Amino acid sequence: MPVPLEASANPPTNAPLMDRFRTGYRWMLLARMTEEKIASLYRTGKIVGGVFLGKGQEALSTAVGMSLRKGDYLAPLIRDQAARMAFGEPLLDTLRTYMGVRSGPMRGRDGNIHRGRPSEGVLAMISHLGAMVPALAGVLMAHRFQGIQNTIGATCIGDGGTSTGAFHEGLNLAAVERLPMVVVVANNQYAYSTPNTRQFVCNDLVDKALGYGIDGHSADGTCLQSCLEVLQLAADRARSGHGPQLVVASLLRLTGHGEHDDGSYIDPLLRKTPVGRDCLKLAEEKLLANSWATPAEIALWHSETQQQIEDSVAVTLREPLPDPAHEDWCALSNRHLAEG
Amino acid sequence: MITYLEAIRAAQAKALRDDPRVYIYGQDVGAFGGAFKATKNLASEFPGRVLDSPLSEDAIIGSAIGAALAGMRPIVEMQFADFSTVGFNQIVNHAATLFWRTGHSCPVTIRLPSGGTAGAGPFHSQSLEALYAHYPGLVVLTPATVEDAYAMLLEAVAIDDPVIFCEHKYLYYHLKAAELPSEAMPVGKARVARHGRDATIVSYSAMLHEALAAAEELATEGWEVEVVDLRSVKPLDTDTVLASVARTGRLLAVGESFPWGGVTSEVLARVAAEGFDLLDAPPRRLNARDTPVPYHPNLWGTHRPTAVTIAGEARSLLNF
Amino acid sequence: MPRIPIIMPQLGESIAEATIVRIPFAVGETVESDQDVIEVETHKAAMAVTSPCRGVIVEIIALPQQSYPVGAILAHLEVDDAEAERLGIDHTPATETTGPAAPSGPVAPSAPTRVEPTVSGLPVPASARGASYLSPRLKARMQELGLHAADLAGVAGSGAAGRVTIDDFEKFLTKLEEHQMSQASSMRVAVADAMRRSSTRPLATVGRSLAIDPLLAHRRASNPKPGPALYLLRALAIALSENSAPAGRLFGDKIVHPKSIDIGFAVEVEDGVLVPVLRKADQLRLSELVDLYNELVAYARARRLPASAQGGSIATVTNFGTFGLEWATPIPLPEQTLVLGLGAGRVEPRWDPAQKQFLPSTESQMTLSFDHRVLDGGGAGRLLQRIAELLQKPAQL
Repeated sequence: MPVPLEASANPPTNAPLMDRFRTGYRWMLLARMTEEKIASLYRTGKIVGGVFLGKGQEALSTAVGMSLRKGDYLAPLIRDQAARMAFGEPLLDTLRTYMGVRSGPMRGRDGNIHRGRPSEGVLAMISHLGAMVPALAGVLMAHRFQGIQNTIGATCIGDGGTSTGAFHEGLNLAAVERLPMVVVVANNQYAYSTPNTRQFVCNDLVDKALGYGIDGHSADGTCLQSCLEVLQLAADRARSGHGPQLVVASLLRLTGHGEHDDGSYIDPLLRKTPVGRDCLKLAEEKLLANSWATPAEIALWHSETQQQIEDSVAVTLREPLPDPAHEDWCALSNRHLAEG
Repeated sequence: MITYLEAIRAAQAKALRDDPRVYIYGQDVGAFGGAFKATKNLASEFPGRVLDSPLSEDAIIGSAIGAALAGMRPIVEMQFADFSTVGFNQIVNHAATLFWRTGHSCPVTIRLPSGGTAGAGPFHSQSLEALYAHYPGLVVLTPATVEDAYAMLLEAVAIDDPVIFCEHKYLYYHLKAAELPSEAMPVGKARVARHGRDATIVSYSAMLHEALAAAEELATEGWEVEVVDLRSVKPLDTDTVLASVARTGRLLAVGESFPWGGVTSEVLARVAAEGFDLLDAPPRRLNARDTPVPYHPNLWGTHRPTAVTIAGEARSLLNF
Repeated sequence: MPRIPIIMPQLGESIAEATIVRIPFAVGETVESDQDVIEVETHKAAMAVTSPCRGVIVEIIALPQQSYPVGAILAHLEVDDAEAERLGIDHTPATETTGPAAPSGPVAPSAPTRVEPTVSGLPVPASARGASYLSPRLKARMQELGLHAADLAGVAGSGAAGRVTIDDFEKFLTKLEEHQMSQASSMRVAVADAMRRSSTRPLATVGRSLAIDPLLAHRRASNPKPGPALYLLRALAIALSENSAPAGRLFGDKIVHPKSIDIGFAVEVEDGVLVPVLRKADQLRLSELVDLYNELVAYARARRLPASAQGGSIATVTNFGTFGLEWATPIPLPEQTLVLGLGAGRVEPRWDPAQKQFLPSTESQMTLSFDHRVLDGGGAGRLLQRIAELLQKPAQL
């Protein structure tokens, strides 16, 4: 009888690697299969907006989610299905938001990756890259004002997002305030279609940590073990008062920018380099090689995950869509101040 | 006597005193007390709660948003309203959309030292209320009196939504009152600042005083002009404006910001749409010129409306 | 030697005044250009006022611990001409203010003697300034009271180009209340409405004499006797059947031509006028029309005109001679271009070219009022001429 996959049941960061790896693999699997299902729903016209997937980034994203505890904050970005789930976001939140049903956290008002539950520690990203870095810094400032201790925040961004002013402003502010914040850069080689060579000219993005006076860490984004270890280190250092931590992981986006994009601009040679390996496949190989899981166990995880996703999709497909006649159309919580 | 600036400082002190969720963040707001001294002594009075920020408008507002989501009530100061455009994205795309998107309110107060003063030039003189009022999810306040500066700033902090607080730099030291108010009209209600019967001038912020001076001058010519102080431009109290136009039949809206669109346009559009039959003359509007705000006082003095030009415009309206 | 002022400078944005801390110089001392001469304090900082040029302090106006507004004169320097000219320094004081700042509310904005309005405001179309302009508010008020523009004819306008403002109107209403007022009949209101709408057009009237003895003789010999208006109606119908253009109506840039020669005739009824219509009056002879005509007159007087005899006529005839009138300028109905009128007959000498002498003749004035947009004096005259000809041979009508 396998342990049910619950974020609250994640092994602690000081648990044996095998336990954490097994759980991590299962989050990766859930994220990958969920996104594959979303892609297929997209292609059947069940999803009204765009679909932006994290294929190839699950190891890193899972490690981010697993490095956090209840009470911490996560400010995910586009390719963080795994981090969201590993931090506790229910599968139904994903499906409901993508399909825009009324029961979802965004109620059809916003879609896909822009979902969040601020009161449960998941900020709802806006499309403007970098903007969540200062926002997360603010959350951590609030915790300091409120005397809340031992909480940290993690936020994710890509190689392209490091070029924004908000990224710089937010990271610098966090450094000035020595906030317990982990900023994770998934260097997936392309910002939409723009390659690293047109994005920055420093030798390695992790060098930027020096400029901000903060710790920098590099991870192999294709390797779950590397990601778990680096994120664990970064989270621990942030939690123990060493200020912001910059983690840069190298990997390759194994899909287009969104499902509308075939990624034809991705250099095919990159797929053959270490950075182009599929983290999920590597993790599975490692489970078997280390005898951390049996083939039968892995097969069972697959079938259970598949069933969980199908059940959740079936629920979501039956749920009511937003109705303009019953929509509130009020952008203020103080409704007496709304003009309507 | 208490100045408009002191009222703003006093309101912030009271907010800090009364509500542990309040903190102040912005450039030079700490020990220095702010570029205009709006936070003078607050850092020492409230240790650890009045903090200097880096020169990072995006991060100042972005962090305030995050803190608000986590239960705080930040007051952030943009050193000049003009610089808020550097943080524009966080204001209009992040703060303003949060409640609608997530159902989680975002109680930040963003203070914008606004408007022109002699010699301030293109980048230290702008009035951006219309820009922010354009966006759903924001409340935009434009106090014109010492009393309102105090009471409305306190209310801004209490409001659960993002509030853009446009405080006028010219009024900082020029405007004085005997004492701070113990009660005030609520946000969202306009005030009839002067009663009249022949025409209505709708204004707000520093232009209110120019409009009142114009009304005074017109009174010597036998005209009784009613002057409405909008107080908040969003929400905009259309009812009070319409009620005034119903009394007078004539409307002039005056604003210090640029002429294309904006608050005066909105006032005219609403009166034309909802009170067309109240109008006995084509409604008029008076704004600054359609150029950046000039540096030299000779140019600046004629760039924005003044009592003289308002009176001139009002005469055309009254003689129609 | 020129005296030049040392003034309170603008020591920061939004600063309105500053307080004198110390003046470390005395009258008679020499100061250099750009030298700090007066220590002041603003709300924001301690600062110094500097000397604009080299010179001798000849007067110190400012008092320590007093506040002075920006622009106030704090002291005077005496400088030599060369220095003044070299620096292009203006001798005239920068401002009249010399005393401490008044502890008042908002400082009155400095009023330049002549400032053009910064923005001309919403332009008003030229047509909106005329006396005929009705504001939305005035229109709404008039609609509320069931009034039309014509009702404003007696109201003096005090607005631009004499337009009636809402104030003018309300004052007028108040005055009206001093008069006794009675309710106009619905007939009166209907006639008023038709006449008001009709007179929005440029109307003109032409007339000529008509010898009506042949007509009268024919009428005497007939049984039943056709009314004089019926002769006119029949002659008009024939004339229009020959050329209907004068009865066309103008609508925008189009002439709307008559479909059928249907002609109305005015019948006086209690408190108004009704206009029964004879359809296809060009296709029935006078003798065939008499009974119908008389019937319609009776119906009209009884106010029971059948619907088939109402509306849709292209012209009207009216015998104002019935009232002893010799000449009139009737107004055509709003949907018509023409109204043909006949005055009372009067025996007058008429020159007979055959007998070369004046002979007695019963003469009537025949008038034609028309919409001048459609018809000109010539066309109207020719139409009258043709009708006059036809009326000379009533037996053929």
